[in-house]
Amino acid sequence: MSWILHRIDDRLIHGQVVIAWGERLRPQRIVVADDASASNAWEREVLGSSAPGIEVSVLGLAAAAAMYESEQARAGGAFLLVRDLPSAHAMVVAGAPIPSLMLGGLHYAPGKEKVNEYVYLDAADRRAARALLDRGVKLEVQDVPASRPLSLESIDAAVRTS
Amino acid sequence: MSARVPALLVMHADLAAALLRAAGTVYGPIEGVNVLSNEGQSRAQLEGRIASEVGAWPAGGLVLTDFWGGSCHLCGAAALHGRGELVIVTGINLPALLDYLHNRDHYPVLELAERLQKKGQESIRVQRGQPA
Repeated sequence: MSWILHRIDDRLIHGQVVIAWGERLRPQRIVVADDASASNAWEREVLGSSAPGIEVSVLGLAAAAAMYESEQARAGGAFLLVRDLPSAHAMVVAGAPIPSLMLGGLHYAPGKEKVNEYVYLDAADRRAARALLDRGVKLEVQDVPASRPLSLESIDAAVRTS
Repeated sequence: MSARVPALLVMHADLAAALLRAAGTVYGPIEGVNVLSNEGQSRAQLEGRIASEVGAWPAGGLVLTDFWGGSCHLCGAAALHGRGELVIVTGINLPALLDYLHNRDHYPVLELAERLQKKGQESIRVQRGQPA
């Protein structure tokens, strides 16, 4: 069973993940793949205790890519969370055969353009998105289970030419 | 009498502002409590705003949030690193907020946080209807 959600979200673990998707899919494990969080002991401790009843691992991108296939063989469901599109691309380049990614929350920052209410992208994001699409990774935009998933290409013309 | 413990409410959407407004209808005019919403904020942005608020509290204070594991809690937790005098209380409801307002001048930070936890938990009760 293992991977039941692959999500790109700059908040990593938060309410939509733990409450909305967690109640719907009931994961046994959450893997946070993020170099900054993995290198910060306090951040590891905070994230590790953030989802009571769920085992949380905080790994760097390379380590997460290395364990991706062994996790796939484990019993019970798992969520994979990455902070942004370049990080997701780095995991795929490092060898993680991720079939699809949900763009769940990429908030505004200077230089980023609005795609919808919760996804803002800049040129680097779009290059990473294009590279993922070219590798056959499906990219869908969806924040919570009750919202309709939309392909990134259908709502962001710029990613088609990036 | 202790020095007043400052508090910051950080919650989803408009909840912090609405909760503070509701508390005001029971308590009266409220001073010295700021509110933040997580709406439209990235993790880094919300962490920065919380850090800026609690940076003005040299003697510490309380970050009051809605639920454990949400972005408000986790971004607040980032601000606690190296600040043992700061405490987060999650699951804040109106009774807990009112208890804070009535007691913020009477307890040190950690004792007040533990009091709010108890008050919030005790305020959730079930009253069954009488069968016909």
